[in-house]
Amino acid sequence: MPKILVIEDEKNLRVLYQQDFERDGFEVVTAANAAEGLGMVEVEKPDLVVMDIRLPGMDGLEAMSRLLDKNPKIPVVLNSAYSSYKDSFMSWSADAYVVKSADTGELRARVRELLTPSVER
Amino acid sequence: MPDRRRTLLGDTLAIVMAGGQGERLYPLTRDRGKPAVPFGGIYRVIDFTLSNCLNSGLRKIYVLTQYKSGSLERHVRIGWGPLFNHELDEWIQCVPPQLRVGERWYQGTADAVYQNVYLLEQERPRNVVVLSGDHIYKMDFAQLIARHEAKGAIATVAAVEVPIAEASAFGVIAVDETSRITAFQEKPKHPSPVPGRPDAALANMGVYVFETETLVRALAADARRDTRHDFGHDILPSLVATEKLYAYPFVDENKKQTAYWRDIGTLDSYYEASMDLVAVEPVFNLYDKSWPIRTMIKQLPPAKTVFAQEEPGGRLGIVLDSLVSGGAIVSGGRVERCILGPEVRVNSYAKVVDSVLMDGVDVGRHARVTKAIIDKGVRIPASFVVGEDEDEDKRRFTVTPGGVVVIPRGTQLD
Repeated sequence: MPKILVIEDEKNLRVLYQQDFERDGFEVVTAANAAEGLGMVEVEKPDLVVMDIRLPGMDGLEAMSRLLDKNPKIPVVLNSAYSSYKDSFMSWSADAYVVKSADTGELRARVRELLTPSVER
Repeated sequence: MPDRRRTLLGDTLAIVMAGGQGERLYPLTRDRGKPAVPFGGIYRVIDFTLSNCLNSGLRKIYVLTQYKSGSLERHVRIGWGPLFNHELDEWIQCVPPQLRVGERWYQGTADAVYQNVYLLEQERPRNVVVLSGDHIYKMDFAQLIARHEAKGAIATVAAVEVPIAEASAFGVIAVDETSRITAFQEKPKHPSPVPGRPDAALANMGVYVFETETLVRALAADARRDTRHDFGHDILPSLVATEKLYAYPFVDENKKQTAYWRDIGTLDSYYEASMDLVAVEPVFNLYDKSWPIRTMIKQLPPAKTVFAQEEPGGRLGIVLDSLVSGGAIVSGGRVERCILGPEVRVNSYAKVVDSVLMDGVDVGRHARVTKAIIDKGVRIPASFVVGEDEDEDKRRFTVTPGGVVVIPRGTQLD
C-alpha cells in the first residue's frame, strides 16, 4: 500500500487529508512542520509527499528543495491556500500544485495520478 | 531608478560559470580556479568573457564561483565592480555556493544554475545568457540575443565552424537549413556536417541564451533525473523536441581571417594561446580599440630596460618580440618571445626565451629559461637553467606533452 506523508500545520486539515487518503486506500503519516516532516521522510520512506507552503519555521518551498536534494525521485504535491506561489520558480520542481479548497477532489486526483505506476513520468 | 528592463539587453541576465577546477591546467590551478589564471601578462582568463559582456551591453552579471574562489572574487570585485553602476540597475557579483538546495558541491553546469535559481526568481529577466568563464574569444552577445528573439527561440546556442575532420573533439550541433538544432552530438565519431557544407561542422561554444521560464523548467526537471546535470549533455538535448532551439553562427569581433575561440583547456593550449600573442601578427588582437579587453589595473611604473652595453661581455637589457607589463624591469638580461607579467625582473646576463613569466617573477643573473611557464613570484636563482634538459626538468617540475616546463607558485629553487 503506497504511503503518503502530509506536511500541514493545520490540525483539522491533517485529519481531513488523513481520512480522505486512507479512504482512497493509502497509508498516511502526517507532520505539523517542515523539520518534523523531513525527519519523517528518512524513517517512514513515503512514496509521495503532500506539502503545505506556509508553515511555521522553514517554509514548504525550502523544505521541498531539501527533500528533493536527497530524494530526487519522490513525487511532491504542493498544497497551498494561495495560488501566488505557482509563479515562483522555486515551486516549479513540484510534480503538482493544488490550491486548497473545501473539496479534496483535485488533491486526491493528483495524488492518484502520481502514484499510478503505469503512468510514465 | 531607471528601468533598464525596457531594453532587451537590460532585461537579460548573464550567468558566468566560473566554478570549474581546471584540473588539466594543474599546477596553474593549484591555488586558483581556471577563470582566475593569468593570461597575456595583465589579464585573467575570465576577463575575456567579462569584456564581451561589457562591450555587448550586458550589465547584470552573476559569476558563479566554487573552488578556490578567493583571488577570482577579489579580481572581479576590484577590477570589474567599479564599471557597473547600481543606480542604473547594473551589477557584477560573484556568487559562491549558497547551499540553499542541499549541502553539496555543484554536480554540473546545470546544477550550478539550478542551485541558484533564486537569483533568477529575484530578477525575473526575459532571457538568461549562460557563459563559460574560461574561454578566450570576442563576441557581441547583443547580436546573439537579437537573433534569439527574431527566431522566436526558447534557446539559442552559439556555434563555431570547425573542419569536420577535427569535429570529433567537440560537442557538435546538428542543424537544418534554417539553423534549427536537430541534435547534439558529444565528441561524435561521425559528426553531422553543416547543411550544404560537407567539410565543416558546428562546435558548441558553451555560450547560450535561454528564455528564462524555459530554462527554469528544464533545470527543475533535470535536477530530478539521474543525469550529469550539464547544459551541453542534458539540458539542451532535452529541449530539441520543442523545435525551438537554434544555433547562432559565431561572428568573431576579432576581425581576422580565422575565427578565434579557444578553450584554454590544457597547459599546452594555454601556452600556445599565450605564444600567439607575441607573434608578429597575432591571431588574437588585444589592440582593437573598438573591442577593448579590460582587467584589474594595478598602478605601476612604466616597464623599463636597463643597460645598453652592446660590446661583447657588456651588460645589455633587451626585449624582443614580447609583451611587457607595467613595472617590469629587464636589467642587463635578454628576453625573446616572452610574456612578462607586472613587476617581473630579469637580471644581468640572464636569457629568457619563449616563456610566460607571471607577476613578480625574478630571474637571477646568468640564469637561462626556455619554453617555460613560471607562476607568480617565483625566484629563479642565479645561473639556474630551465628548459634545456628535459630529464632534469621532469625530475623537478611539470613538463607538458608539448615540452613546456611549468613552475608553480611558491616553488623554492634557492
